[in-house]
Amino acid sequence: MCETCGCGLPEEAKHAHEGHGHDHPHREEARLYRSLLEANERQALENREHLLEHRVLAVNLMSGPGSGKTSLIEALARFTAGRWRIGVIEGDLATDRDAARVRALGLPVRQVTTGSTCHLDAAMVHGALHALPLEDLDLLVVENVGNLVCPGLYDLGCHLNGVLLSVTEGDDKVAKYPVAFRHAQFFCITKTDLLPHVDFDVERPKREARLLKGDLKVFACSSRAPESLAGLAAYLEAERKALLG
Amino acid sequence: MHEWSLACALVRTAEEEAARRGASKVFEVSVSVGFLTGVVPELLERAYEMARQGTGLEGAPLRIEVEPVRARCGECGRESVFEGYALACPACGRPGMEVLSGGDILLRGLDLEVGGSA
Repeated sequence: MCETCGCGLPEEAKHAHEGHGHDHPHREEARLYRSLLEANERQALENREHLLEHRVLAVNLMSGPGSGKTSLIEALARFTAGRWRIGVIEGDLATDRDAARVRALGLPVRQVTTGSTCHLDAAMVHGALHALPLEDLDLLVVENVGNLVCPGLYDLGCHLNGVLLSVTEGDDKVAKYPVAFRHAQFFCITKTDLLPHVDFDVERPKREARLLKGDLKVFACSSRAPESLAGLAAYLEAERKALLG
Repeated sequence: MHEWSLACALVRTAEEEAARRGASKVFEVSVSVGFLTGVVPELLERAYEMARQGTGLEGAPLRIEVEPVRARCGECGRESVFEGYALACPACGRPGMEVLSGGDILLRGLDLEVGGSA
């Protein structure tokens, strides 16, 4: 309690105390409404601009583990060989196995090993960008950590986000794992060469994904059949042209 | 478990705001979790309890409010509230609505003790 004016409780202390040289502790409610993702979003914006300055279209691939992200990158590199210069950032909890596969094709690659973190974030991508020869690239593919939940919340600063679902995972998965689709521009149903062996209705995930994101572009492809990537490759080419002229 | 990354960002942001206001104590931290973020409130709370150890937030419980999804139809302009992720306009059936709220995770506010300098 203040011996000068007698106020004591924080609730009673919300008044000025001019004249006796101190103020009293009081309780106040600070209204902030600050996004917890703002630092990541700032970094993402920086990444996007940095890539744009280097005339690189960047694509973030998200899916559960084993949907065929690395195989799609390999197939896309083969399909566009001699036309596109592709660089890759590989995100994994552990090992550099994916980076080794991509490196074997002669592509510049940077492995980001996240340890226990279940997603890439913009700062991790920023670090990897400095290790890649951006001036020699047309397309940068960022393979996110295999996880269909957490990566969806983190903007990496790519220009396009794509979600993959393989036919072996089941046609009911889109509605079960919706978060990643919200910020996606395209959706690839992969491993379509296995369709004769599984019960998978291709129309179901298409329909469900468009409920989550109305303007989603949908492709169906098999990394074992290079010609099936034509639609995706044409889309990426058109997006690059729209972005960079 | 992206809740851990978010809890770390929460502790960092809350401490920064408390320091900026010259707070001597934080009584409570409140966050708003948009339904579309997929963040699980119970996991965020547990992660927060770990992330705040050794910080000025040890005595400050977390209050979590889940914000429902509000979206506007690009076709007919109708605004609707959703309890799921599938956003199709209940009036005209068109999918792909514009999300107005429910997609963010925000530090809403801090209940603080400030002042008290001698």
